Amino acid sequence: MHGEYKMPGGKLVVIDLDVRDGRLANVQLSGDFFLEPDSALHAINAALEGQPEQASETALADAVLDALPPDVMMYGLSPQAIAVAVSRALHREAEA
Amino acid sequence: MMRTDWRDHDWQLIHTIPQSPSLHMALDDVLTYEVGAGRRKPTLRIWEWAAPAVVIGRFQSLRNEVDAEAAQRHGIQVVRRVSGGGAMFIEPGNTITYSIYAPQSLVKDLSFQEAYAFFDAWVLEALAELGIKAWYQPLNDITSEGGKIAGAAQVHRGGAVLHHVTMAYDIDATKMLDVLRIGREKLSDKGTVSAAKRVDPLRSQTGLPREAVIERMIATFRRLHGLSDDVVRADEQARAEELALGKFSSAAWLNDVA
Repeated sequence: MHGEYKMPGGKLVVIDLDVRDGRLANVQLSGDFFLEPDSALHAINAALEGQPEQASETALADAVLDALPPDVMMYGLSPQAIAVAVSRALHREAEA
Repeated sequence: MMRTDWRDHDWQLIHTIPQSPSLHMALDDVLTYEVGAGRRKPTLRIWEWAAPAVVIGRFQSLRNEVDAEAAQRHGIQVVRRVSGGGAMFIEPGNTITYSIYAPQSLVKDLSFQEAYAFFDAWVLEALAELGIKAWYQPLNDITSEGGKIAGAAQVHRGGAVLHHVTMAYDIDATKMLDVLRIGREKLSDKGTVSAAKRVDPLRSQTGLPREAVIERMIATFRRLHGLSDDVVRADEQARAEELALGKFSSAAWLNDVA
């Protein structure tokens, strides 16, 4: 499943994922945002992996926030925007 | 760390023969590291391309962004760079690309938005001298009355920041749209692609050859900030070639975000 969200004043945030036994699996965040250190990408994917399919956007954003290293730098990206992209992947047909 | 200004540094220029796409990726990595380690003075590098390429951002999905079959058909190599941001479609002579390798002190206490605009203020001045009214469009674009001109990306390494920019000189939009999977909502971002067969804000608005635009940009940087001619050191070149053949040519790096 595929979800995209253009964060207002930010960049394109894309989520690809599967759902297995009601939980998120094979989560991949991508997009044209800026994120440092770049290892934070894999930390975010890992934090979303296994989250309940029914999790709220707030819960998903909190899970992302908790996984970020303290020195993280985000530009054009936020935990909330990632949660919206996950929600779109789960609840909407894939966009073109 | 005290905030520094452009003139507090002894800026160096590297503008050499065309290089392969993977070597460009590697040179950005190595030269940023060298400036951060204090072994290289702050540097402006103008890129020349030996081969066509699609350069995707650090966090872009390869399969979402690139039509691999079309890229292969057109003989276009796909590489992933170290910085975030969007995909660039490069054919030798169709863009102007440069990198600035600077100490972090130059943008100390600036917001990201301010830092992007700060690094390209000299370019806006060069464009104005060429008769183009251009301005910074946050987060990371230079745009003009004739459409988007450029996209910038930054990455921080140790004590240094890399700021690199690709400007559209004269792009074959049909081929670009064949190779890049650009959604309709992104089209406006790449210039007036839907109507035009070419995206050529620099060529059409200056009427000058690409080389003349580059010459003017270098002259403006030199006048504003000072600039001495330099070359890539042998040890830097060796390290970059090693990375170009290794990491930056590897399937693992290209597919890191599949």
